[in-house]
Amino acid sequence: MQGWFSGLTLARKQAVWAWVFLAVPLAFFTLVRFWPALDAFALSLSRWNLVGPRKYVGLANYERMAADPVFWQVLGNTFEYLLLGLPASLLLAFLVAFHLDRIQTGQGLLRALYFLPHLTTATAMAWVWRWFYQPPPVGLLNAWLTALGFAQQPFLRSTTQALPAVLVPAIWAALGFQVVIFMAGLKAIPRSYYEAAEIDGAGSWQILREITLPLLLPSLVFLFITTSIGLLRIFDLVYNITAGGEGGPLNATKPLVLSIYQSAFGRMDMGYASAQTVVLFVILLALSLLQMRLLRSRP
Amino acid sequence: MASVTLRGIRKDFGRTQVIKGIDLAIEDKEFVVFVGPSGCGKSTLLRLIAGLEDATAGDILIGGRTVNTVAPKDRNIAMVFQNYALYPPMTVARNLGFGLRAARLPAAEIDRRVNEAAAMLGLETLLARRPGELSGGQRQRVAMGRALVRDPQVFLFDEPLSNLDAQLRNQVRTEIKKLHQQIRTTAIYVTHDQVEAMTLADRIVLLRDGRIEQVGTPTDLFERPANRFVAGFIGSPAMNFFPARLDGAEIVLPWMRLPCPPFATAPTDGRITLGIRPEDFLAGTDTHAVPEACRFEAQVGVVEPMGSESLLVINAAGTDIQVRLIGRAFPQTGSTLGFAVNPAELHVFDAATGNTLRR
Repeated sequence: MQGWFSGLTLARKQAVWAWVFLAVPLAFFTLVRFWPALDAFALSLSRWNLVGPRKYVGLANYERMAADPVFWQVLGNTFEYLLLGLPASLLLAFLVAFHLDRIQTGQGLLRALYFLPHLTTATAMAWVWRWFYQPPPVGLLNAWLTALGFAQQPFLRSTTQALPAVLVPAIWAALGFQVVIFMAGLKAIPRSYYEAAEIDGAGSWQILREITLPLLLPSLVFLFITTSIGLLRIFDLVYNITAGGEGGPLNATKPLVLSIYQSAFGRMDMGYASAQTVVLFVILLALSLLQMRLLRSRP
Repeated sequence: MASVTLRGIRKDFGRTQVIKGIDLAIEDKEFVVFVGPSGCGKSTLLRLIAGLEDATAGDILIGGRTVNTVAPKDRNIAMVFQNYALYPPMTVARNLGFGLRAARLPAAEIDRRVNEAAAMLGLETLLARRPGELSGGQRQRVAMGRALVRDPQVFLFDEPLSNLDAQLRNQVRTEIKKLHQQIRTTAIYVTHDQVEAMTLADRIVLLRDGRIEQVGTPTDLFERPANRFVAGFIGSPAMNFFPARLDGAEIVLPWMRLPCPPFATAPTDGRITLGIRPEDFLAGTDTHAVPEACRFEAQVGVVEPMGSESLLVINAAGTDIQVRLIGRAFPQTGSTLGFAVNPAELHVFDAATGNTLRR
């Protein structure tokens, strides 16, 4: 080794050392991550119950999926999480960050409090919210509603209310992280921009639209993508908040990942689970490509 | 067009007093430069006039109207910021028109004024670009254009050249002066650079530690500095200062006795600081032009030839003196040579207070 290594340029020597150190995690990841991920594509074309032999079935799993009303409902739910959750979550986070950025006293404390849910286990959070949503006299929210003279709400027991009810803690849990990102973005905007606008007599709407939001675009795109991916992969909250993890009344809250989990580890139907996984992969890939385009086209 | 008047202005940030009482009258159409070392409060004073800060005490008048409680946009001012504050996502044209859009002017009027300012500053070909695609000098011009389109009564400049390299700085400085001669609007310009102050100002306001040290034309400050601080700040290379003693009609230095200029009043203890600018020394045969008493011998320590002039450090009786000689010839390092002081250009300060003894 001494011979050929000492003959290398400095840059090449550094590269060799970098690869030496990278080799171990790379081998590990190939074994536990990349290989199974690739295998999922093959698996989606097979029937397998995790112990018996694998049998090639062509596109049968995909055909079954297309004909399965529950799959379409689950896919619809997944996008409902995304389409309701994404705007609500980003708007809320921006409003909180925007106003937090303007106060001086207590800013650090408030930011920490907003961030706290981010550090909390989803399972613990889910069980607390599950308790909030119970019928009276147990449930906190219904107790408040009754005390204020409003009608009780079924929340998790309703096919229409269950999904939004699960979404609320999901948004709350993500808020802290988003607020921190937004605040970092806001703080990066030089004060002189606002001062120049103040002298120019720009109104707060013009400042927001023409200065703050365009300059916040990188943070916005980043959060748009991470939040989307988070919402598309929603699982643990739903699993823990709906009794027994079955996905709400008449599958009302069931997202794709929970369906995959049930196919794989409830019914031991690895082929069908993999086919659904491939669908999720395609959606996430499309989203990530969109992110790269958005970030690149930025002036 | 408007005058700007400051009456008893004070500004505290918490317990820190930044502006400690300033009275100043700026005439209509005047170009006034606030200059001073960093932390002297010059930028704060400008921001007070702009309305970006509230004065702790005192009144600010623009065009005879007290504007203490008037919002910045209604003060009829425009400001050029140190970092230019151009909005990166907008084109040059949209940057220029920002304030006019804020004022809800009709689009045709905005276009007309934007094009007018662009023509004045030579920005016509850059209107579709974004600030990120411009050079430092071009950005600076856009920043001036944005101030110009507003047609303000008072221009405020906050160190507008400090982000430019030396060569560009000289060029843009000339452009600013030309622009002011063209539009004749009251201008207040903040800088820490005494060269900018000297070249641009009708009048210089020299600040230190939240107070005005001296107000006057560049010539006033250069030829008749009110105190030792002003004398040391204005002029480059800086003035030489020597501790000296007054003995009757003579100034006593360790290496010579100089006839005292008639304009000085003596301090009670006779201790003074004598200030002589490096260019007020003569060397060689030039010394014959001044009286015998003003001549002395010194050894040449360091020579820095600069082409049309040279900077020397000479040593007389153990004291180092900075000397600037005009002309291409320069003496040899280590040689001993006759030098002289121009007796008309002596600056005499009270050693204790630093104030000038000129009457």
